[in-house]
Amino acid sequence: MVNRDREGTMMKNWMLLTTAIATAGLMSMPAQAEDLNLWVRTSSAGVLEKLADLYNASHDDKVVITGITAEQMVPKLGASIAAGAAPDGAVLDLIYLPTFAATDSLEDLTDFIDGLPYAAALSPSHIRLATFDGKKYGVPALPDASIIAYNKDLFAKAGLDPEKAPTSLAEIAEDAKKITALGNDTYGLFFVASSGSWLVYDFTPHIWAAGADILSEDGRTATIDTPAMRATLAAYNDMWKAGAIHPTSRSGVGNDAVAAFASGKVGVLMTGSYIVNLMTSQYPDVNFGVAAIPGPDGGASSFAGGDTLSLMKGISPEKKAVAESFIDFYMQPEQQVLITKESGMPPRTDLAKEAYGAFDPRNLVAYDILAKAKTPYTYASDELFVARTGPWVNLLQSAIFDGNIDEAIAKAQADFTRILNRTNPK
Amino acid sequence: MTVPLDQPAPQTREPHQWLGAFFIVPSLIMIGVFFIVPLLMTVWMSLHDWPLLGRSSFIGLGNFVEIMGDSQLWNSVGFTMLYTVLVTLALFAVAFPLALLVDRPLRAAGFFRTKYFMPVVIGFGAASTLWLWLLNPDSGVFAQLLRSLHLVSAAPRPIESFWPALGVIILMVVWKSAGFTMVILLTGLQSVPGEIIEAAKIDGANAWSRFRNITLPLMRNSVLLALVLNVTSSMLAFDQFFVITQGGPQNSTITAVFQIYLASFSSYRLGYGSALSLVLLVVLVAISSIQLAFLRTRPEES
Repeated sequence: MVNRDREGTMMKNWMLLTTAIATAGLMSMPAQAEDLNLWVRTSSAGVLEKLADLYNASHDDKVVITGITAEQMVPKLGASIAAGAAPDGAVLDLIYLPTFAATDSLEDLTDFIDGLPYAAALSPSHIRLATFDGKKYGVPALPDASIIAYNKDLFAKAGLDPEKAPTSLAEIAEDAKKITALGNDTYGLFFVASSGSWLVYDFTPHIWAAGADILSEDGRTATIDTPAMRATLAAYNDMWKAGAIHPTSRSGVGNDAVAAFASGKVGVLMTGSYIVNLMTSQYPDVNFGVAAIPGPDGGASSFAGGDTLSLMKGISPEKKAVAESFIDFYMQPEQQVLITKESGMPPRTDLAKEAYGAFDPRNLVAYDILAKAKTPYTYASDELFVARTGPWVNLLQSAIFDGNIDEAIAKAQADFTRILNRTNPK
Repeated sequence: MTVPLDQPAPQTREPHQWLGAFFIVPSLIMIGVFFIVPLLMTVWMSLHDWPLLGRSSFIGLGNFVEIMGDSQLWNSVGFTMLYTVLVTLALFAVAFPLALLVDRPLRAAGFFRTKYFMPVVIGFGAASTLWLWLLNPDSGVFAQLLRSLHLVSAAPRPIESFWPALGVIILMVVWKSAGFTMVILLTGLQSVPGEIIEAAKIDGANAWSRFRNITLPLMRNSVLLALVLNVTSSMLAFDQFFVITQGGPQNSTITAVFQIYLASFSSYRLGYGSALSLVLLVVLVAISSIQLAFLRTRPEES
């Protein structure tokens, strides 16, 4: 495979060389404009195409965006790398960065990133996930952060202070029960419980807010069994038993959540920063507030999600230069505002005024959180967290809805450990 | 127009053998490229630790040794067997009466044949997605219907527990495939000569006894064909579980093919996935040859 790659590269170089000679001979142009091919997940393609169009309009080189269905990104990119036909770069869900970096698939961008004047202001969790063995392999592109959204009208109706967001899970549970008591199919809490990516996005911050974690710092050891995990699961199970959780939460895969919250019958929704733009544009009548995700007894945290731009190993210096110029282009305040308008949050954390000046102040809540938000550093994201059949989903489903907290924690710890033993890089 | 008299006599000898070989070359190429080569590659990959990313290494029969002790896999094989038995019974229970109903010389019979057959032409993935929405407790048709008829007070949530989940999947598959089984059984019914039935009637055999002793034995091959096709496709079930239950609750509805998918595209262990595919291939070939052995014995011989 390695030999074939080298042959492929040699072939490509040879072709480039002949093209270059031919071009030089025929047209004697100073430099050839380069095309930079980037694969992005379809949900991010809209914003990136706009950025690429803006860039292409003012540059000779072209950035070409290709949308790939989110679930197919890893298999397709993996297969294309193995076949020696990878794109020049990819805008990936940041959680996959350690996996690709550890298999030597990505181009080292350490010097470029460290040389940026705004290097210190880049979303810290995106940079941490893009770092492997001391080198940086990706630049944050389109971040988002998980938050809670709460219906202020329902809070007021239930006799709660609508201007004060709940600051602990215990408080959420108490509020949720009061809101459920309003009757008429009203529920205190909605969370998406049948989708791994939603559960890792909305549930892990409870644990982080209490100062605990589910994986060790290097991602190689599972630390499921913590007092914070037990307290959080117990609080959820308590709400479920009290009927305060919307019944569709249990089998929800994400598409029902916004509709349920927009119907005005859900007190607290576990969601992400994108909700602010979505609600204000599509459901302007819902009176809601947003806040960071609290821990069982207080504290606050968030999951830093979204996309990181990385380049495939072996990219030509010319194309790499185009990529670096495109990154610097979209990091400029003007483009950061566009990103915020389109997807809710910019990757730079030092432009609050520029990026949010004209926006809904509720965006600022998520913005403040991004600098402190975390993401699990893992080499087995799909198998541990994303898969509906994986140990993370089964832990929460079993503990919250069936109440088998001890059993579920022990099983999850064992399953995590078994998978980590196999997937940790040697 | 006149025919010249010196035209050679029409050829009666066999055409050249190479001509026959030439005619089957296109299909040999297709089989080679799309079946033999991938099969050999699967065998080759199954002998490796072959991650999606990074280097593969030869591990001999290591994957197969791991399969022996993979309890999750054997659970999924057990579940696939359970599903196969239940869904096959359900399909026959529905398709046989349907075949008897539409086996009439009435003009309306053609209409009903078409109607019952229609869901068969929908792809399994599309049918599963359709049912996922039909079953949606908040906006699905089933929940609305049951509630407006006051049959239930709260929307049913079948995919949250094992037996209801399996039940709705079987219901969906029966809706989707009963028409196909019906058509196979119908060809069997129509191959029974009318005069034999007539003779039995004259001999005083009642309807049940005519069906049991004449129709059923004579349409034996159709029944076995329907059985082989149903069992094989049920053993390969994937789409309906992948889309509707997603393997839940608590991984209780994972079929054998689903397990291969998970090994290959969730764990990204392409070598292990290949080894699982080969094991399933052997199991399926074994089941099919047992059934085909039954099929080969002619009714008159038994």
